[in-house]
Amino acid sequence: MATVLEMPSSAPGPLATPPDLHAKHGWRTAKSSLMSVLMGLSLVAVMIPLGFVLWTVLSKGMGIMSWEFLTSDIPVSDRAQGGGMGPAVLGTIVITGFATLLAIPLGILGAVYLHEYGGVSPLARFVRFMSYVMTGVPSIVMGLFVYTVWTLRFGLEGVGGSLALACLMLPVVIRATETMLKLVPDYLREASYALGCRKSRTVLTVVLPAALPGITSGSLLAVARAAGETAPLLFTIGYVTKNNSNLFNGPTTALSTQIFRNATSPFVGAQDRAWGAALTLVALAFLFTVAARVISARFATKR
Amino acid sequence: MSMTKLRVRRTGLVAIAGAVALSLVGAACGSSSKSGGATTTAGGATTTAAPSDLKATLNASGATFPQAFYQEAITAFTAKNKGVTINYAGGGSGKGRKDLADQLVDWAGSDGVIKDVDLPTFKGGEVLYFPTVVAPITVSYNLSGVKDLKLSADTIAKIYQKQITSWDDAAIKADNTGATLPATPIVVAVRSDSSGTTENFTKFLDAAAGASGSGVWTLKSGSTVTWPAGVQAGNGNPGVAQIVKSTAGAIGYVDLSDAKATGLSFAMVKNKAGTFIAPTVAGATAAAEKATIAPNLTYFAGWAEGDLAYPIAAQTWILAYAKQTDKAKGEALKAFLTYVLTDGQALAGSVDFGKLPAGLEKQAIDQLAKLQIPA
Amino acid sequence: MASMQFSLRSKGGHADRAFAGLALAAGSLVLVILGLIAITTGRSSVEVLQDMGAQFFTSDVWSVPDQFFGSLALIYGTILTSIIALMFAVPVSLGIALFVTQVAPIRLRTPIVYVMDLLAVIPSVVFGLWGVLVLAPNITGLYKAIADAVEPIPVLNSIFGPEANGKSFFTAGLILAIMITPIITSISREVIDTTPPGEREAALALGATRWEMIRGSVLPHSSAGLVGAVMLGLGRAMGETIAAALVIGSSQQISSNVFASGDSMPAIIANQWGEADSLHRSALICLGLTLFVFTIIVNMAANAVVTRSERRSQGAV
Repeated sequence: MATVLEMPSSAPGPLATPPDLHAKHGWRTAKSSLMSVLMGLSLVAVMIPLGFVLWTVLSKGMGIMSWEFLTSDIPVSDRAQGGGMGPAVLGTIVITGFATLLAIPLGILGAVYLHEYGGVSPLARFVRFMSYVMTGVPSIVMGLFVYTVWTLRFGLEGVGGSLALACLMLPVVIRATETMLKLVPDYLREASYALGCRKSRTVLTVVLPAALPGITSGSLLAVARAAGETAPLLFTIGYVTKNNSNLFNGPTTALSTQIFRNATSPFVGAQDRAWGAALTLVALAFLFTVAARVISARFATKR
Repeated sequence: MSMTKLRVRRTGLVAIAGAVALSLVGAACGSSSKSGGATTTAGGATTTAAPSDLKATLNASGATFPQAFYQEAITAFTAKNKGVTINYAGGGSGKGRKDLADQLVDWAGSDGVIKDVDLPTFKGGEVLYFPTVVAPITVSYNLSGVKDLKLSADTIAKIYQKQITSWDDAAIKADNTGATLPATPIVVAVRSDSSGTTENFTKFLDAAAGASGSGVWTLKSGSTVTWPAGVQAGNGNPGVAQIVKSTAGAIGYVDLSDAKATGLSFAMVKNKAGTFIAPTVAGATAAAEKATIAPNLTYFAGWAEGDLAYPIAAQTWILAYAKQTDKAKGEALKAFLTYVLTDGQALAGSVDFGKLPAGLEKQAIDQLAKLQIPA
Repeated sequence: MASMQFSLRSKGGHADRAFAGLALAAGSLVLVILGLIAITTGRSSVEVLQDMGAQFFTSDVWSVPDQFFGSLALIYGTILTSIIALMFAVPVSLGIALFVTQVAPIRLRTPIVYVMDLLAVIPSVVFGLWGVLVLAPNITGLYKAIADAVEPIPVLNSIFGPEANGKSFFTAGLILAIMITPIITSISREVIDTTPPGEREAALALGATRWEMIRGSVLPHSSAGLVGAVMLGLGRAMGETIAAALVIGSSQQISSNVFASGDSMPAIIANQWGEADSLHRSALICLGLTLFVFTIIVNMAANAVVTRSERRSQGAV
C-alpha cells in the first residue's frame, strides 16, 4: 500500500505523540482539496459538451417541432423547407416495437433456461458465454448479416431491420434477465415446490413476477438503445417519404437513418428536419430510460 | 398475492403489452399517408392528362447527380397519379446499379454505364438505358474574395493529384492572369461512395489531360478512384457540396443544381476549343448535342467539341429491366418514364438541368416500347 | 388450512416438459444466430483472403478500382481514434466516479447518476449529427491555431499538423470520448463502491486526508476493476460506426497527423457497402469480422479483469 501517513517529522516514535487529528496539515489538506476540485471539474468537463449537444438538439429541434412535424410526410425534395418526419417516427416505432416483440420473450425464456434449468451444465455455460460474445457483435456486422440472409432474399422491408435490432437486443435482455433471476431468493422457489407446483408453473407464477420490475427496466433500457441504432437499419429497410406501417411489404424509414442521411446534406431544410428527428429520438430514448428507472425504483425488491 | 405484487405484475405486463399493441396496430393498419405543408422549389404545370388509375409503389436508388430533377419529376408525377408512390433513395450510381442487379429496386439512376463484367450479375436480364437530362459538373470552390476563378484541365488534374497544394500556386495564377490569389492550402473534396459524377469527372480529366493528351492526369477514370492521401470524402453530391461550403480553401466537383442551391462559387473551365466556359445548362446542352449516341442510348457528353460546349458536361440515365415482372409496377414505370421524357423535361430548367437534345429524346421515347409488361 | 387439496399426481407433466423444451430452444437461439453469423461472414471473407492473402492485414492500400484491399489503414484509424477517445474519457470518467462516490454529498449522488444514465442513452447518430454540423466546422480554427503553434517543435509538428481538418481522427476521437464517458463512469462507480468501508474509514481514522484515503485504499483496491471499465469503454469506441463515419473524413491513410482525415473499420463499411460487388463485399465483411474479433478480445479481457477484481474484493482470491 502506498504511504498514507506522513508522521510529523519531529515524532520520535509511533506511540510517543499521536498526530493531532484536528490540526490542519497545510500542504496535505490543500492537495486533497485540489484533487476534490479537479474531480468536480471533471464532472463539469463532461457536462459541458454533453450539455452543448443537448442544448443544440433542443434549440434547433424545438424550432421545427410541432404535431405536423411528427405526422407529415417527408418532402420528396431534400431542399424543401418544412414538411415532417412522420414516416420516420412511424417506422422507428413499428420496427423497434416488432424487434421488442421478438427479443424480449425469447430473451426472458433464454435467461430462464440459463438460470432455472441449465445452471452450471456445460451447455448452459456455453450458451452463457456465447450470449456474452454476442453482445460484442458490432451493430454494422449485424446489419450486414441480416442483409445477406434476409434482405437479398426478401427485399428491402421493415422486418429486416427488426430482425437485426432483435439480434442486437437478445443477448442484452438475456444477461439482464439472468441477473434479475439470480436475485430472486431461493426460498420462494422452494416454497412453491413444497406446495406441489411444477417447475414451469413456479417459474411463470413465482419467479418471473418477482423479478419482473428488474426485467422490465432492463428491457426498457434495451429498447431505448435499439430505437437509436442506425447501422443495422442502413441497408435493410430502404427509404420512403410516405408512411408505411406494413413491416412485411416494401421499404420503410426510421428516425436514425433519416438523421444520418440529412446530416451530410448542405440544405438548411434537410438539416432542420434532422435536428427535429434528433430531438424526437432523444425524447423517446429519455422516456424509456426514465420509465425504466421509475419502475425499478418503485418496485424494487426489498431484500 | 399482495397488492404490491399484483401492481408489479400488471405494470410489467402493461409495459410489454404496450410494445406488442403498438407494433400490432401498426402492422394491422394499411399504409396511410398525410401530406404535409412542404414548400417545393418548382411547380410542374403540364398539359397532357396522365392516366390516374395507376396504383403501385416504385422503389429506386442511385445517382445523386440528377436527384434534384428526379425529386421534382416525382413530386409532379405523383401529384397527377395519386395511386403511385415513388421512393428515390439516392446513394450514388454504384449503389443504384448494385441494387438493380440484386433486384432490390424497380429502377436505378446512374450516370455511368454498367461494366461488361458486371452484366451477368443483373438477375433480371437485359437492362435498358433511358437518358433523362444533362447538366454541367461544376468545379466548386470556397475562397473568400475570389470570383470568376478560371481553371484549365491540367491545373484541375494537378490539384486533384495533390501536385498543387496551395491556391497561390503558379499554375493557378497562369490560368487567372491579373487575379490576386491567397496563400490558403487547398482542401480537396471527393466522393466517398461509388459515383457516376466521379466517373464523368475523371473521364473528362482522362480525355483532356490524360495519356492521350498532356499526360498530366495519371489516375485514369472510374466510379471510384484511388485518390492521393489526405483528401476529404463526402457522401453524394450534396455531401461534397457540404464539405466545400463549410471548409475554407476547399475545392470539389458538384452538379450545378446542388452547387447553386448550396450557394457555392464555381470556376470557369477551359474547353476543347480553348475558351473558358462557365458551367451553365446551355453549355451542357451544347456539349450533349455533339455527342455520339450508341444504339443502346449510352453516350459521353464530356470534353465535347464546339466553342459553347462546357467541357465537364455529364449525362445520366434511368436504368430498368426490359422484362418487367409485375404488371402494376411495369405500367407505373412506363408512365413515369413517359412523363420524364415528355412533359417532365420542362421541369429540368427550374432546377438547373438541361433537356435532352431533340433527337435523343425521340430515341428514348421510342425505346419505351421495349419494356415488356406482363398482361 | 382447511380445504387445501393438492393432487400429487402429475397432471401438468407434458406442459412442464414443453415449457422446459421451449426455454432450451430460446437459449439455443443464441447459438444458432451466432453460428449463422460466423458461417455467413466466414464464408464471405474467404474470397478476399484467398485473393489478398496476408496482405489484407499488412497493406495500407485500399483501392476499389484496382480491387486491392489492404486493411492496415483502417485498423490504424480504429485504434488511433480509440486511443484519442480514451485519453480524454479516462481521466474525466475516473474523476466523475471518484467525485460521485467520495466527494459529493449523498443528496447529489442520485441526480448525478440519473443524469449520466440519461446521457448514456443518447443515440450515437445524434452525436454524429452534432459533430458534423456543429463541432467539425467550428473546431478547425482551433486545430489551425495548435498546428501553427507547434510548427517549430520537431516531433509535435508531425502529430499536430501541418494539415488541420475539421473532419479528422481527432474530431472522431473527441466525439467518441463524449460517448464512452458515461459507460466508463458507471462501471467505475460500481467498482469503487465495492471498496470495503472499513478500509476507507481506517485510513481516515489514521489522519489521512480524503485524497490520501482515495490513493491509499480506494484506488489500489479498485485498480483492476477500473482497468476493466476502461477496456469496456475501448470496446465500445472501436465498434462505433455512425458517429465516426460522419466526422472522420473518409480518407484511407496512415498518418501521424491527428488533424488529418482518416477512416475506420466500421465507418468504411457503412460508407462503401451500398455499392460493393463480390470481392469488395468480401473485403468489407472480412473487415467486419476483424472488428468483431478485436471487440471480443477486448471485452473478454475486460470481463476477466473485472471479475477477478470482484472476486478478490470478496476475499476469494
